[in-house]
Amino acid sequence: MIRLNAEIRAALFCALLLAPVALRAQNADQNLRHGEEVFAQTCTQSYCHGANGAAGGAPKLAGRGLTGDYIEKVVTYGITGTPMPAWGQRLPLNEVRAVIMYVQSLNGIAPSLRSGPPPALTGEAASGRELFFDPQHSVRCSFCHRVNDRGQAVTPAIANVPADAGALRNLATPQISTARVGSETFPALLSSKIPGESKVYDLTKFPPVLRTFTPAAVDLKDGNAWSHSSVLGNYSDGELNSILAFLRAAR
Amino acid sequence: MQTGPCVLTQAIPCTESAGLADAAALRTNQTGNAFFFRGNNMRHGKLLGSLLALTVALLLCPRQSCAQNQPDISQAQVQQGATGADWPTYGGTHLFWRYSSLNQINTTNVKKMVPAWIFQTGDYQDALQATPIVVNGIMYVSTARSAVFAIDGATGKLLWQYKHQMLPGYSPPARSKSYGLGVADGKVFLATYDDFLIAFDQKTGHEVWRVAVEDPYTCRCSMSAAAMVVKDKVVVSGGGLRGYVAAFDIKTGREAWRFYSVPGPGEPGNDTWAGDSWKTGAVVNWFSGSYDADLNLIYWGTGNAKPDFFGESRKGSNLYSSCIVALDADTGKLKWYYQEVPHDSWDYDSNWEPVLMDRMVKGRMRKLLVHINKGGFSWVLDRVTGEVVGTYPDNQYINWVKEVSQSGELVGRHDVLANESAWLVCPSNLGGKSWNHEAYSPRTGWIYVPLIEMCNDIVARPPILGVPGSAGGIWVMKPPPDHDTAFSHLDAFDPVTGKRQWSYQYKYALLASVLGTAGDLVFSGDSEGNFFALDARDGKKLWSFQTGAGNRGSSVTYLAGGKQYVATPTGWGSVSGDIMSVLWPDSDQWRLGSTLVVFALPEESK
Repeated sequence: MIRLNAEIRAALFCALLLAPVALRAQNADQNLRHGEEVFAQTCTQSYCHGANGAAGGAPKLAGRGLTGDYIEKVVTYGITGTPMPAWGQRLPLNEVRAVIMYVQSLNGIAPSLRSGPPPALTGEAASGRELFFDPQHSVRCSFCHRVNDRGQAVTPAIANVPADAGALRNLATPQISTARVGSETFPALLSSKIPGESKVYDLTKFPPVLRTFTPAAVDLKDGNAWSHSSVLGNYSDGELNSILAFLRAAR
Repeated sequence: MQTGPCVLTQAIPCTESAGLADAAALRTNQTGNAFFFRGNNMRHGKLLGSLLALTVALLLCPRQSCAQNQPDISQAQVQQGATGADWPTYGGTHLFWRYSSLNQINTTNVKKMVPAWIFQTGDYQDALQATPIVVNGIMYVSTARSAVFAIDGATGKLLWQYKHQMLPGYSPPARSKSYGLGVADGKVFLATYDDFLIAFDQKTGHEVWRVAVEDPYTCRCSMSAAAMVVKDKVVVSGGGLRGYVAAFDIKTGREAWRFYSVPGPGEPGNDTWAGDSWKTGAVVNWFSGSYDADLNLIYWGTGNAKPDFFGESRKGSNLYSSCIVALDADTGKLKWYYQEVPHDSWDYDSNWEPVLMDRMVKGRMRKLLVHINKGGFSWVLDRVTGEVVGTYPDNQYINWVKEVSQSGELVGRHDVLANESAWLVCPSNLGGKSWNHEAYSPRTGWIYVPLIEMCNDIVARPPILGVPGSAGGIWVMKPPPDHDTAFSHLDAFDPVTGKRQWSYQYKYALLASVLGTAGDLVFSGDSEGNFFALDARDGKKLWSFQTGAGNRGSSVTYLAGGKQYVATPTGWGSVSGDIMSVLWPDSDQWRLGSTLVVFALPEESK
């Protein structure tokens, strides 16, 4: 073994002691640079926060005195009613962290390694979620069902998840009735009835149409030949099983 | 359709076409600049002859009656293209002329025009960018957050209103806006920013039906274009990941057809997108189109391909981005398309208005479609076949191509490439003309185009995987070369040859639409809040009124109780409006707002 003199030993000891700190600082620095890159490629785009957060179509972010918690919250969850999306649902965890760190740095907040979005779905449930909302499917589940704050709430929230694809296709739909308006009839789902006004979903074509009538103008009779399977034609059994996995995971 | 009375306007003096001299001066100024002035130089030899002919024509033709001094525009066309008592649809009529046959207000008396009433919408989130629709003296207007107001067109009295509740938890893809409404069949149609098409009873405002055209939670999509009624269908457009034009039954709201502006697997054109790039190709259609009833064709300008500036990931021509598409009005089937900018990398979409007109070309009457692209060129197409009849530059500073040939090819393209450093692209991605619409007058035969000379440094960057809708690059707005700042001009062009007739210059941004009338007036507004009238024949300013906030909407004119009114939306804002602050620090004086200001002649001046 090589004998080291006291000075070298001391220096080495210091280096070893400081290594984690240095490494962390280096990581933070990398993260910050990564955050800057992700920010440039997402947040500055087109009509949003502008280069280095100096304002574009969306508000300026640099030097605003924003707090770290606020930045973390807004980047992760977005701002309802504004174009600011919930990046926590759109970007990988490490990139969300990096962007938060970068925007914090624009407001004079030193880098930290904590913070991040809620965990995401994985595997079959994740692909089931894609299929449930898939805009490439001309008729899709989210036309009528709302899950985790996405999709249209034409029906009440899904309470029971069918066991398999077959059960999903053959799901009984006793709540669907037959509406008669003048000489016209159509499969209908009653949405609301208040004095002077009845709102029913017309399921003749998809997406469904919410139509408003005076109670006298529309006559609703129980039962209709409409079936759940009629709208699931463009999903395979495998895809429906993935969708069921998503619904179970989402509950 | 009702048209206004044809009256003698003999009091208007015949003027020389001074604007031609201006154009020549502009051309001289730009000589020797690396950025060539794309004016009339190619047709210089013909200029003198035309000037002479025009002057002779002006002297010989007394200015009487409707459009008789334009022999190649038929009275039947004027009936079809001009509005009368009403302003019934977004573009005025389905030919999208934004021109009214009303002439109670004209070049002789416009200076007496005063405010008649003012209506504040209370929706001050952003500018009032809508086109008011007027039917039987009642005005219908929509605001940024999809509110609707029905207003008495003579008094400004509120008749009914609808305040839209955006979906809970909805995060719009951009700042919400609404460009207007459709009115027909006793109903008012609103395309909301969160993707509902809603039909209201025209008299009461009670909801009749609503349909979720897309799920905004999923597609990060939106609708802002005014609903357009064609026969028994309501046509809307929009999109997020995948743009569309879709038609719904006017009575029931049931979907009749949908045309995706990005073809799906197995459909013609899908192979113009490398790999899976079509899935996020976007091509969002955020303006209404026009319609030819004789051909039964709907014309729509389509959006750009995404990522906007990073073309590497979507090799191919990317159909039907930056196109004019002609769709069968009954089925939505594509009849023809013409792509102005194949594989765009400058954000030069084709969303602006397709203007339909019949004009003589080389001795033959042609059914034309005139369309300006954001890249600063106009294309003149045969609207029966989609064939290119000609092209011409509208802007002065253009460098993304060397030229566009007369047959429409882009010559000497300079694409935005991922491995390049920033370079100054002219015009900017906001467009050599922004969305604010041009107007076409059959009396002069000219088209009136609001233009901005502004450039941008663009750098392309690869978008992050899993983030659809990314622009794939960044940009910074810049003045044109050799200028301290950007500037605007409102120009009159011969819409077929592109010959510039006159140019009205403005030091800031002209982001309001143009309105033409048979009183030989051209109305528009500026960013400082001046709503003004120019003489349609020489561009001289005849009247101006400070409306209290910048103008970013589309003015209209109509009759109520037999009297002509001119209405303009006011209030600065919008994404483009705000981006102007980069070039003009004074822009913080242009003031937000959302107000209709409506003008008329005082009683004694009628």
